[in-house]
Amino acid sequence: MIAGLVQILLFQGLGEIVARFFLPLIPGPVIGLVLMLAWLRVRGSVPPAVDLVATAFSQNLGLLFVPAAVGVVMFWPQIRSHALAVVAALVVSVVATMAVTALVLRAIAKDGEP
Amino acid sequence: MNPQLPAIHEIWVYLSGSPLLALILTLSAWQAGVMVYERFDRNPLANPVAIAIAIVATVITLIDMPYAKYFEGAQFVHFLLGTATVALAVPIYKGLEALRGRIFPLLAALLAGGATSIVSAVGIAKLLGADAAIIGGFYAKSVTAPIAMGVAERINVSPTLTAVFAVTTGILGAILVRFVLDAVGSKAWWQRGFAVGVAAHGIGTSRAFSVHPEAGTYASLGMGLHGVLGAVLIPLAIRWIP
Repeated sequence: MIAGLVQILLFQGLGEIVARFFLPLIPGPVIGLVLMLAWLRVRGSVPPAVDLVATAFSQNLGLLFVPAAVGVVMFWPQIRSHALAVVAALVVSVVATMAVTALVLRAIAKDGEP
Repeated sequence: MNPQLPAIHEIWVYLSGSPLLALILTLSAWQAGVMVYERFDRNPLANPVAIAIAIVATVITLIDMPYAKYFEGAQFVHFLLGTATVALAVPIYKGLEALRGRIFPLLAALLAGGATSIVSAVGIAKLLGADAAIIGGFYAKSVTAPIAMGVAERINVSPTLTAVFAVTTGILGAILVRFVLDAVGSKAWWQRGFAVGVAAHGIGTSRAFSVHPEAGTYASLGMGLHGVLGAVLIPLAIRWIP
């Protein structure tokens, strides 16, 4: 468990350093993700300890969003005065995104059967 | 007053000054959200993230705790978002095998979906008269929340508002995915999964995993690719949007 966490944290740190000094436009964790992906490709398999931690994260990913999203209380008056625009934009956008992605896939993929 | 027994308000002052209260509140709200979700047989309407946010927001409003104060404690949970982002390398690595022979359709669909996401949200918000601060929050909202917040910082819009919109998008996507994909006649699990991953990132992905494993794998691939490409392309694309 800890061994896996240490490896992931190392890539996170590496990503932050690369972001800070070489690629300021890209968030550090994304660079860490890409570096870790490259390392996994070279290695050819996922170390069990890393797999364990990654699974724990993906099963509780929702928890990690809570602190930031509670920030909605700060924007509440602003969001409420633009409620229609916000709700319409969010709903239409997610529906359109799913529909377009699925339609493009179906149109150009050869193996569209379930 | 008995010196052995501190008054209740003293205990309260002590507790609300430490990060413990915010941590307990966040974790127990999440636990409650998961319990409700399980109780309703994982019905997408009982989304655990939405429930947890509603509980925490209500409680801190009732006890008059400023958001900044709450975040002081909750930042320990928040910090792990970056670590969780790096850990996404594992599901993406496992999904790479699935990419073989499908990379062109998947990338084309991702670019089309990602562009649709930004253009439709920003377009509608502008049309309905939202102000610039609100509109800024829409640019990165289809990207998974930790990456979306990083992108928001780099394009000088509010990371918090972006996170709120990103999480809401994820919840809406998880709720609506079945109806939308049935309506457009999408049948293959891999296509359905990829579509929900691109549109509704992590929350859509966990929904996909609870429906079908192949859909889940492709959803995490869609979320991951959208996150990585979005982090590179969104800041560049913003310069071209009037």
